[in-house]
Amino acid sequence: MERWRITAGHVPGPFGLALVLIAVVFAIVEAARAYRKPVPGVSPRLRAGLFALRCAGALALLAVALELSLSFETTSAAGPRLVILADDSASMSIADAGAPGQEAMRRVDRVRDLWQRSADARAAWKEQGLAVQVRRFGEGSEALTGEAEANLELTARQPASDLTRALAELAAVDPAVDPRPLAGVIVLSDGLFDRTDRGADDPLVLAARELGVPITTVSAGAPHLVDLALTELRAGEFAFVENVVEFAADIEAHGLEGARTEVVLRRDGQVVATEPFVAPASGETTVRFEVAPDRVGQFVYEIEVRPVEGEASPHNNRRAFVVKVLRDKVRALHVAGRPDWDVRALRTLLGRDPNVELLSYYILRGADDADREDPLAPLSLIAFPTDELFKEQLGSFDLVILHNFDALNHQVGRYLPDIGRYVEEGGALVMIGGDMGLATGDYPAPALSAVVPVDLRVPTGLDTEAFRPAVTDAGRRHPITAWIDHSGLSDWSALPALDSYNPAKLARHEAEIGSAVLLRHPEGGPLLTIAEPGRGRVLVLSTGASWRLGFHADLPIVDGARPYDLLWLGAIRWLLRDSAADRLTLETDRPTYLLGAPITLRAAALSPSYAPEAGVEVAWRVQPLGHAADDPGADPNAPVTILSQGTWTTDALGRASETLGGGLSVGAYEAVAQRAGDESAGAAQQARRVFLVQAAGRELTRLASGPGDERLERLAEATGGRWLRAGDGLPAEPPLKAERQDRERVDSRRDVPVWSGGFAMLLLVLCLGGEVLVRRRIGLA
Amino acid sequence: MLRTRRSLLAGAAGLCAAAATRPLRAQEPGLFGPLIGDEFREPTAVLTVDLPQLQYPGKWNPRPGAMRELAVELRLRTRLEPVREPSVVTAESRKLFDTPFLYVAGEGQLPALGGAAETALGRFLDLGGMILFDAADGGTDLGFERDVAALLGRILPGAALTRVAADHVLYRSFYLVDTPLGRTNTFDHVLGIHEEGRLKALLVRNDLGGALARGESGLFTWPCTPGGADQREWAFRFAVNILLYATCTDYKADRAHVETLLRNRRWR
Repeated sequence: MERWRITAGHVPGPFGLALVLIAVVFAIVEAARAYRKPVPGVSPRLRAGLFALRCAGALALLAVALELSLSFETTSAAGPRLVILADDSASMSIADAGAPGQEAMRRVDRVRDLWQRSADARAAWKEQGLAVQVRRFGEGSEALTGEAEANLELTARQPASDLTRALAELAAVDPAVDPRPLAGVIVLSDGLFDRTDRGADDPLVLAARELGVPITTVSAGAPHLVDLALTELRAGEFAFVENVVEFAADIEAHGLEGARTEVVLRRDGQVVATEPFVAPASGETTVRFEVAPDRVGQFVYEIEVRPVEGEASPHNNRRAFVVKVLRDKVRALHVAGRPDWDVRALRTLLGRDPNVELLSYYILRGADDADREDPLAPLSLIAFPTDELFKEQLGSFDLVILHNFDALNHQVGRYLPDIGRYVEEGGALVMIGGDMGLATGDYPAPALSAVVPVDLRVPTGLDTEAFRPAVTDAGRRHPITAWIDHSGLSDWSALPALDSYNPAKLARHEAEIGSAVLLRHPEGGPLLTIAEPGRGRVLVLSTGASWRLGFHADLPIVDGARPYDLLWLGAIRWLLRDSAADRLTLETDRPTYLLGAPITLRAAALSPSYAPEAGVEVAWRVQPLGHAADDPGADPNAPVTILSQGTWTTDALGRASETLGGGLSVGAYEAVAQRAGDESAGAAQQARRVFLVQAAGRELTRLASGPGDERLERLAEATGGRWLRAGDGLPAEPPLKAERQDRERVDSRRDVPVWSGGFAMLLLVLCLGGEVLVRRRIGLA
Repeated sequence: MLRTRRSLLAGAAGLCAAAATRPLRAQEPGLFGPLIGDEFREPTAVLTVDLPQLQYPGKWNPRPGAMRELAVELRLRTRLEPVREPSVVTAESRKLFDTPFLYVAGEGQLPALGGAAETALGRFLDLGGMILFDAADGGTDLGFERDVAALLGRILPGAALTRVAADHVLYRSFYLVDTPLGRTNTFDHVLGIHEEGRLKALLVRNDLGGALARGESGLFTWPCTPGGADQREWAFRFAVNILLYATCTDYKADRAHVETLLRNRRWR
């Protein structure tokens, strides 16, 4: 059917429109009055011609002012829509069967088969005047047309199936774009949707009700499934080093009763524990791993139940998670040459911290004291187990403190090289002065001297004159002593004077081991010196009087703490590489990313004195954390594939960053940053972060068709639709909305502008001008 | 002649013994090559610890020289290096904070020290100091004990003197001691205030100073009863333990020490 109408291209504002209409009406009324009023010498025909000119001019004015056009439309009647929503998610690729022994069939193939078998039903829908639209849905939804519609082309690869979103997209269709009313929906799916089933408050049911049409659901799944799936994982984000932590995984088994396999726990791709697993007839089994992480850091752990033959999908057999392993108890060895107030103060501080496991050995009497002692006196003294402490267990300590200790007198001299190696390999060493040790040259081993920033070859002696230390520039910034400057105490006038000093000199190699003097004696000698030899850290305090910073008549309290506590807690944090004290840090903006999301790496470099270090070249790389270690076919010596790498130069604030596009596939990755050209320094100059890339949702977590069927049935019931199985076929008369509302559909439209092209303007000028001219000639103007 | 020959033999034996013991020190540097400078030096200066005694109006020093005698014994028996002449301080003096240990002796009573003095003593304890109260009456007059309890009640509100258990590390900080003997043997325990994991104050009521003090003649001033010399030796041992506890706190409660002592059946 064809029709035409006049449309206005421009409608002026109310005032303008009123003005135009009033002018036109006035002009026509005035012309009509003139026509009806007889004028001598003017024939009625001439009056009629003048009236016609006026009307034509007024119409031309309207056409120009309102930009009038003629619209010619071809229309047809439009029936209501029936929308088919076909599930295109990965779970539709799972093969299952009606019963054991039957041939398994992929769910997507079952749906396609249904589609082909229901050709008659589809033809019936068209005969009923229903406009059939076919859409596939996964994370979103899209229409299928032509061949794709005819063959119901589905990939069954989408990482999620969000039916709620697909229904919402149907509800959002603009009637101006598609005026056909929605009459019904048919969902072809296994019912394993992303969103949680929450009964009446289920967002899916709410969205379906909002649509206001019956939804017919067709189950694509079949009851017999063969699969093992890791369905739930229970693991904390944090664990403590050397403390047992439990990771538990729920494993759901279907159709594999008695099958034997194993469940594997990996850390950064390396197998750390294995548990045997015998599949139950059906249902969930919990497998637990108890592990004690042996070092601090951030790690990717993964639990995998090794696939067995015939499983519907191996992709739901593993789950990875990131765990940050923190230091729990610091194991500290405190050896002192004699009891005094300095030993007491440090012991009290360390003993107060529940995170410190303190092992102390203080020399309570010398050989000459023993000579004088009554041999029968009951003493509580025990032997000094030098071999055990400095040979067997040295590596188990996080921190070794040699406190005014005359090592040579106590047969520890032979172990000094071991202490040097301990530091090289990552240990932390503190040497505290006094009247022995540094004073008497008790640390003469070259291997130890090589890692200590002060000269140990020469006995320093002891100066007992009181003095006030000077804070160096490095000391103002360093985390051990920065609090002094921040508290306005840099001149030391408000802090207690110290009354013992070992006038040590810096070692010749101090620059090579990254040393920095934080506090100096007023005469310039080093008082508090730190260094980072090899992978370890060393602190030398050339006084045995630091206890005075915690016990004084006018002791200032800084942020609620004694200066002594601030000094030593800062020192211990730095020595133990508390993350706040690392000189090169690397962070990712998140531990876990969705597939395709950008990943940002940020690094920060600090100088040995903890100032932001500009211009530092930092090499970075991103590489996968693979499974080569337990893959029999994998080459253990194969080089790690670097997926992305580059070099940063830190800015004025010591920072650098990189944003990686979302090109990484699902898996675990390791980002490593290292000061360029400093590979030998190992962990000291290296920072590492791990992260995961995961698919949205957990599409393949639970694959059994039963819960999906129940959900589809409830959805149909809630909307007045029907629940069917794929074997039933599509209904020729599906439930539709009760009141059928056919609408007129505009198939084509052609607009002819009246006002454009100068015709209307010419008509306007000719009509109005002609009327004026005629009036003048006949004497009416 | 015989005497000369014996002397020579004794001298030779002494030299041999010296040679036999000397290598211990001489060999240590040899493990790593020759030392630069002296091969081994005794400390040129020694970090000493003071054993200050509080002076207050009244009988503040009923047992003169007790701390000096304890300092001597500590030097002879332990690696502690006390000063030869312990100092005397007042509570208002800034010197109170030169040492986190204070000896307060008295007999009959401990007079009120005044607000400033008590504030200073409270801060002394808060910052980590330890006070040893010694009742010279040896159990015959409880006045001093009563005044000490009142003083501590004022400077440590909420804290109370309680019996220090027999298995406290105080009894094994150097010697294994069963009873806190002094000049007398009236009490089989001491009292103390245990807070923040340490003994802040200790009250000894068996006149510990009376067992330690010597007169100018070099003889002990007061007899120990009823145990005599043995009791005095145990008093010294307990006094040594107190100072070792003051400097090492609960060092002897560390697991390694406890396990070793139990294993050797030296402590039950």
